[in-house]
Amino acid sequence: MEKVKKINIFYLLGYIFIPMIICAICFLVSYLFFPKGNGAVILIMGPSFLSFIWWVFAGSFIFKRKTKKFEKELDESGFNRNQTFYGRGKTVLVDLKNGKIGLVFFWNPFKTYTIPASRIEKAWVDDGKGGIGFMEGSSRVSFLFLVDGIKIRVDTFTSNQRFRMDSDYILTGISKADMMVKMIEEAKSNSK
Amino acid sequence: MSILRKIRSIFHDDWCSECTSVMETRKKQLYMLPQLVGNYVSHSNASYYKKNLIKVNKKAEIPTGYYACGIYEYRCPKCNNKLVKLSIFLPVRDQEKVEEIIYFKNGEMNDFIREYR
Repeated sequence: MEKVKKINIFYLLGYIFIPMIICAICFLVSYLFFPKGNGAVILIMGPSFLSFIWWVFAGSFIFKRKTKKFEKELDESGFNRNQTFYGRGKTVLVDLKNGKIGLVFFWNPFKTYTIPASRIEKAWVDDGKGGIGFMEGSSRVSFLFLVDGIKIRVDTFTSNQRFRMDSDYILTGISKADMMVKMIEEAKSNSK
Repeated sequence: MSILRKIRSIFHDDWCSECTSVMETRKKQLYMLPQLVGNYVSHSNASYYKKNLIKVNKKAEIPTGYYACGIYEYRCPKCNNKLVKLSIFLPVRDQEKVEEIIYFKNGEMNDFIREYR
């Protein structure tokens, strides 16, 4: 039984440091062999620009591609996708009938998981309620579940502002989280 | 009829748009709308609601994450003007998030309401 890993440390470090190493090598080559002219411009600006593009866009591009591929594989394998929740950095797929859960993580996109829902120990909603009096509110609503002792949090609403607990954003977030917890519990009850 | 009352009637669902009298509620019924949270699509056509609404007795019968629709049938006791209001909302624990309110003034929902009476 393979344990669920949210982060592939080699992918995470590679994602951050490989472009930095390439930039450093290019800067060194430029310093040693092309101190002036077009060569220096290309070797300094080119890798820097490409690194910026990589850090900003590559992660979500890879994650989305892998999620789409995983969905296709699941559909072909007979997994009934009753619900697919695209969270920030996580995708959770639920098969109610067969009691299975599919998982893809942003920082581990090359490894996808299809686990029996019985491996989920607990699922619950965190409405993020904080503050007192007129300051009471939330800036994050999520649903969480424990798989093999690992806590997985999937946000249904996030903001840099705090909203009142009866605001439309918070209520929608709570409704989505409640629905996902219900589905996970139902899948768990159908799991062998 | 005073102009002030006419203006006030804009803010009251249950006031007659013709004579501004308070309309009587002839029927109200709760239904489940089979649309999931996050995927709500607005429909202004009565036939969509006739085809898809499922009658329920209380909010607890609506599965989590699904929309509810409260239908109110109003009738003006003075001018006999009729109005049907559809209040579409998302039940969230003990609260309601109102998504949309739709009015049918020309009897588009009459057959549907009669069917469930």
